[in-house]
Amino acid sequence: MSHRILIIDDEDDIREVAALSLETVAGWEVAVASSGAQGLVRAAEYNPDAILLDVMMPGMDGPSTFRELRKNPLTAGIPVLLLTAKVQSNDQRRFADLGVEAILFKPFDPLTLSSQIAGILGWN
Amino acid sequence: MDTREQHTMSEALDRLWNQFRPEMDERVGLLEAANQALAANKLSIHQRGEANSAAHKLAGVLGTFGLTKGTVLAREAEVMYSGDADPDPNSLSRLNEIAQQLKAIVASRK
Repeated sequence: MSHRILIIDDEDDIREVAALSLETVAGWEVAVASSGAQGLVRAAEYNPDAILLDVMMPGMDGPSTFRELRKNPLTAGIPVLLLTAKVQSNDQRRFADLGVEAILFKPFDPLTLSSQIAGILGWN
Repeated sequence: MDTREQHTMSEALDRLWNQFRPEMDERVGLLEAANQALAANKLSIHQRGEANSAAHKLAGVLGTFGLTKGTVLAREAEVMYSGDADPDPNSLSRLNEIAQQLKAIVASRK
């Protein structure tokens, strides 16, 4: 079954590899945004089934973007998975406390990223 | 995913690697420049932040392109350039070693 995913990440390389992975391996539809602010607009327009959201971005970071997504009735119910290269346990606790669906870690395996997401969201 | 699809994916990843190779080189270059500034006792707060950010980005992306050792090394540099103070000058030789290895790892992927 096809799903619609929005990737919000300021790093072009990560965004492109994640999009390639989800489109090629899983056949999902992917939209991208390169900043938190752009992501908020795109999420409301695109109405994705899930959002893959980078933590460290200049300007509006991942946690701030997540809080804004939750404030908007159009995007409040969309599952959000945080994507981070931070591996320290205090960071992980802080992110988990936000109420996101899951935390995924960089680097990810492009061959298994979609099955990881599908497993978390019960799409299998 | 069958073998043909894996091959297609692998080719697409190679294309993306070549597309983003200049960014990888630039990030390693930022680390080298910060190491040189540290050696000269001229590391600015801005440059320390740039080195931390470059190492963070390398740590996040290199493993995605199959360069797992690069992620481990970049993460070590990220930690050394984090915090409110300059890295310990005694760690300079290790930082130089990391930058050299990262350069070689990035150059090794075609």
